Amino acid sequence: MRACDKRCGSVGTAPARPACRLSCGRIDENKDEEKVQDPNTGEAETKAEMGNKTWADLAGEMKTFLWNPEERTCLGRTAKSWGLILLFYFVFYTCLAGMFAFCMYVMLLTLSPYTPTYRDRVSPPGVMIRPYLNGFTIAFNISKRSTWQPYVDSMHHFLSTSGCLTSPVQEEKNIECISGQYFIQGGNESEEKKACQFKRSLLQNCSGIEDQTFGYSRGQPCILLKMNRIIGYRPGAGVPVSVDCKVQKGNESDLRSVDFYPGNGTFDLMYYPYYGKITHVNYTSPLVAMHFTDVKRNSLVPIQCSLHGKGIVNDVNSDRFLGRIIFMLSIGK
Amino acid sequence: LSASELEEKYGTSINKGLSSSRAAEILARDGPNSLTPPKATPEIVKFLKQMVGGFSILLWIGAVFSWISFGIQFAQGAESPFDNLYLGVVLALVVILTGIFAYYQEAKSTNIMASFSKMIPQQALVIRDAEKKELPAEQLVVGDIVEIKGGDRIPADIRLISAQGCKVDNSSLTGESEPQSRSCDFTHENPLETKNIAFYSTTCVEGTATGIVINTGDRTVIGRIASLASGVGNEKTPIAIEIEHFVYLVAGVAISIGVLFFIISVSMRYKILDSIIFLIGIIVANVPEGLLATVTVSLSLTAKRMAKKNCLVKNLEAVETLGSTSIICSDKTGTLTQNRMTVAHLWFDNQIYSADTSEDQTSKYAQPFDQSSPSWTALSKIVTLCNRAEFRPGQENLPIMKRVVVGDASETALLKFAEVILGDVMSIRAQNKKVAEIPFNSTNKFQLSIHETDDPNDKRFLLVMKGAPERILERCSTIMINGKEEPLDSEKAEAFQTAYMELGGMGERVLGFCHLYLPENEFPDTYPFDTDSMNFPTSNLCFVGLLSMIDPPRSTVPDAVSKCRSAGIKVIMVTGDHPITAKAIAKSVGIISATSETVEDIAKRLNIPVEQVNRREATAAVVNGMELKDMSLQQLDDILCNHSEIVFARTSPQQKLIIVEGCQRQVRGQGKGWKPISQALQGAVVAVTGDGVNDSPALKKADIGIAMGIAGSDAAKNAADMVLLDDNFASIVTGVEEGRLIFDNLKKTIAYTLTKNIAELCPFLIYIIASIPMPIGTITILFIDLGTDIIPSVALAYEKAESDIMNRRPRNKKKDRLVNEQLAVYSYLQIGIIQSVGAFVTYFTVYAEQGFLPSTLLGVRVDWENNAINDFEDSYGQEWTKYQRMYLQWTGYTAFFVSITIQQVADLIIRKTRRNSIFQQGLFRNKVIWVGIFSQIGIALILSYGLGHVTALNFIPLRFQYWFVAVPFAILIWVYDEVRKLFIRRYPGSK
Repeated sequence: MRACDKRCGSVGTAPARPACRLSCGRIDENKDEEKVQDPNTGEAETKAEMGNKTWADLAGEMKTFLWNPEERTCLGRTAKSWGLILLFYFVFYTCLAGMFAFCMYVMLLTLSPYTPTYRDRVSPPGVMIRPYLNGFTIAFNISKRSTWQPYVDSMHHFLSTSGCLTSPVQEEKNIECISGQYFIQGGNESEEKKACQFKRSLLQNCSGIEDQTFGYSRGQPCILLKMNRIIGYRPGAGVPVSVDCKVQKGNESDLRSVDFYPGNGTFDLMYYPYYGKITHVNYTSPLVAMHFTDVKRNSLVPIQCSLHGKGIVNDVNSDRFLGRIIFMLSIGK
Repeated sequence: LSASELEEKYGTSINKGLSSSRAAEILARDGPNSLTPPKATPEIVKFLKQMVGGFSILLWIGAVFSWISFGIQFAQGAESPFDNLYLGVVLALVVILTGIFAYYQEAKSTNIMASFSKMIPQQALVIRDAEKKELPAEQLVVGDIVEIKGGDRIPADIRLISAQGCKVDNSSLTGESEPQSRSCDFTHENPLETKNIAFYSTTCVEGTATGIVINTGDRTVIGRIASLASGVGNEKTPIAIEIEHFVYLVAGVAISIGVLFFIISVSMRYKILDSIIFLIGIIVANVPEGLLATVTVSLSLTAKRMAKKNCLVKNLEAVETLGSTSIICSDKTGTLTQNRMTVAHLWFDNQIYSADTSEDQTSKYAQPFDQSSPSWTALSKIVTLCNRAEFRPGQENLPIMKRVVVGDASETALLKFAEVILGDVMSIRAQNKKVAEIPFNSTNKFQLSIHETDDPNDKRFLLVMKGAPERILERCSTIMINGKEEPLDSEKAEAFQTAYMELGGMGERVLGFCHLYLPENEFPDTYPFDTDSMNFPTSNLCFVGLLSMIDPPRSTVPDAVSKCRSAGIKVIMVTGDHPITAKAIAKSVGIISATSETVEDIAKRLNIPVEQVNRREATAAVVNGMELKDMSLQQLDDILCNHSEIVFARTSPQQKLIIVEGCQRQVRGQGKGWKPISQALQGAVVAVTGDGVNDSPALKKADIGIAMGIAGSDAAKNAADMVLLDDNFASIVTGVEEGRLIFDNLKKTIAYTLTKNIAELCPFLIYIIASIPMPIGTITILFIDLGTDIIPSVALAYEKAESDIMNRRPRNKKKDRLVNEQLAVYSYLQIGIIQSVGAFVTYFTVYAEQGFLPSTLLGVRVDWENNAINDFEDSYGQEWTKYQRMYLQWTGYTAFFVSITIQQVADLIIRKTRRNSIFQQGLFRNKVIWVGIFSQIGIALILSYGLGHVTALNFIPLRFQYWFVAVPFAILIWVYDEVRKLFIRRYPGSK
């Protein structure tokens, strides 16, 4: 039937139409009569043939294309034809979706749920700081509480939620580990791994326990630095990774003193390696707090804090967060 | 006008000519004596046209958007605004480079033509300052006195003031094939008819003449015709229409999807700037940047291939036009025929023999008639002796048929005929010394010569005579039968008449031959023959035989015509020749097939008057130019559509134009015959061959004008789209074949190219809707379109035909589009979707193996692209910096790119055929396809591993296994397409 339509439809000129209809339009016999009775159709066709297509003709053509009552076609196809087409595409796309799902399933089967297949893109580790509000500029006036309160809130928020550094939780769920060596846990990959305690108190002056404002109220802000988690990564190859900070560009003397907690700004080996979020459930990322006790006031001081250790990369131009971080400190009175 | 009046009118002196200073003055006033070449479009305009044509405008829009968004980002101080700047520059570069490429290609093909038409500067012998000088013809001015001699080209329009036996060949101007004699007498009001004017660019065949230049350059008759030709508009070629249609289609899709997603993304609360960037991506993904260049290359490759087969194509697009040709209006002389008179039949001993008329006759053994009869010996002697034609010396090594002969066409034919059969004609002539001769003239219509015989014992003279058969017969009283002279009674005369009629009916030029041995006693050795008083008998001769000559069809033509016929191409002969000759040639080459009859034939068979014959019964028609003159357009249309085999005879150049226009009004009806349609709809695609200047309007008017390379005049070559280097009709047919093949192959190329557009587009759409990290970058897309895909799509142009394309009808311009619904739907919605799915599998694999499971990726876009987030957590709890994520994203780009490339290999293989299975077509027949495949993979390897460290390109050295992730989908594409083709072969006509 569709082939037949096509043949009829393709004959551009009027005289050939009836013949074509006779040859392939068994069901359409009664419509032939209609056509004979309606001379207007023929006229319209000749008009179209003459090439003097007016907008009305065009609209008429458009209308016939949308719904042709004569051949009962919509957009040039009959209901049956549309049905078949849609059915075909439905089946086709279903099969395709099935194949896609199957491939994805097979691919996912090959993955381990605990360790990604490759970790070459994520290491060496990147670095982030807290507080983090909008960008890497920390600017406030000591005298105006409203300027530093958001930073303080951010620190509290970070320490209380993401790390769960509150001592009771740490003591209850995590174990005390032996400092100075990697905490390697063998056994089955799927076994739950123990996490080491990282108590908030380790951050000393920057723990926010004694000084609820993390030094912001005194113009000696604490900034927490964390190293990105990488499964199985052992930073420093036996020697703890340390942190230092200096003025990135400009006068070295703008940054006169920084205190680092804990342990002089090192990431203890016992917190590594990380075993992934499924098995290493309560893993707490170790932090290094940087206490900027004496920074030049009333000016924008660019500071770069970098990790140091074996295997740490901190000098790639394209990635300014790889093993280092750059931020601005601006402390006003 | 008398000579002195002429001197006065043109301010010159017949003896002294113009003075140099005066000539220089006129030269400055009138300009050089050369035709201004047809106005060429300035190169820069051509170049700019390439820059804005087709998709370029879309890409320009893309580039401008990129720059705008760069400007905004830069003003806002965003971190990496330069990406958009680069993208804009790359887009602009793409447009400019493809523009330059297309321009270069076009210029190259124009150059071939330019070098072709370049002529050696012509010299003219001019009298100036009372001296004879050789001057370049360009410097001639009105009033110059020029001398011409046989063999010269007339350097300007010239009024003759003296002439000796001057004859000019006006064929390039008027189409008359016979040389016309020229004298200084004024014979006609019409300058074209009068005998005292010789026209620019015609040739002086023989004799000498002196004349005054009356018109130079564009003011000459030929200059006016040439300007008429340039007045006839150039029609758009079918392929140009198709490509335009295709560009509209794709641009329409690109713009509507782009705008749609612009609206979607704006309403999804993306920033306007981001939405604009998406828009650019969608446009770039949708536009097949490399396609137009590919099409140009494919066409020029075909043009080169055609040039090898002696079709030189001037206009690249004409390559395809030839393929869609549905009517060929062909010249007779030179195109269908060999353009040389050849002896075709002989009649002696009461019997008609036919002679070999092939192009390369070499030995007498090839001649299929009985050479043992003594009558033949006598006849051959007459043929040899009664002939003034001679070979030009120094051609002994050339085949006889190729040697140049001095003499008219029939004598040449006879000379060559004799040379082939008898050997050295010149020595035979030397042995039979000529003692007297009367050359042919139009009043007595015979030629006579008297010779000594080569038999030393025979002292008789031999009188030989040839001429119009009826005149020769009048002078004969006996006839030679089997070497014996027998009285010529009415029965024998009847036999002669029958033979004469039969040969004449075949459209051949018949000559009668007779001889007489003069009795020795009456005509002793010393007898003074006097041709003026004719003191020798010229009647009661002995009739020996008839020879008939024709310009025989080229041996390849009948085959070519039947090929045209099976290819649904109607071949119409349009000639200035006599209807009977035209019909005979038409019959012998098959333009009129053996079984079909003209109205006249039917009338003769049924023995009724011509008027009573039902015109519809006759399939063939021979139309005389005289009849054509009185016909209305309606009647002409009637003839063109009711007869399938038509010959137009005795037509003038103007009528040729009318015929071409008539043909263009025709369209092939459904099944039976042709029917006229209105001008608004496109009619038949008409190819016209021609050689003379007078043909140039028709050549220009035709959809494809074909000029003759050897016989053609420059004006004809200028007006034509194509030049047949060997003037052979059969070359047109090979051209048609190539044209059809390239159309098929372009279809494949486009299908191939369009497919991956979806695979390039889907990532953008899913990126916008599902907010996943960008799967493929805009620059990567450009590398597919302009890198890996280019060579394979050109390689498809080398694909052999699937079936006998010459058994198909010419494509219907309205129905068989280059890009039709099925092709687009199949490419876009089926294969394209499979490709996208395959590429996405690779994409997700890459991300998952690095730690981002598909579920994590959904909706991640905003954070993912946030520069400040440098501890982005993946599915395993690891944390990523922004740059690490970008690096992964580029790995994703590369993986996506590689999967598309791999699947395009499968796409390339399936596109080799449209109906046949790949295994029927042969996987290895088209070696270039394999070059394409290897280049594709090679380029991908280089991009990934070689340029993997250039950050701006966003390519990353990819893990080896990712090259194979999409392979199952590539195989799926292949299998799916094989199944589709199987269905198409099983159930032709459906879906």
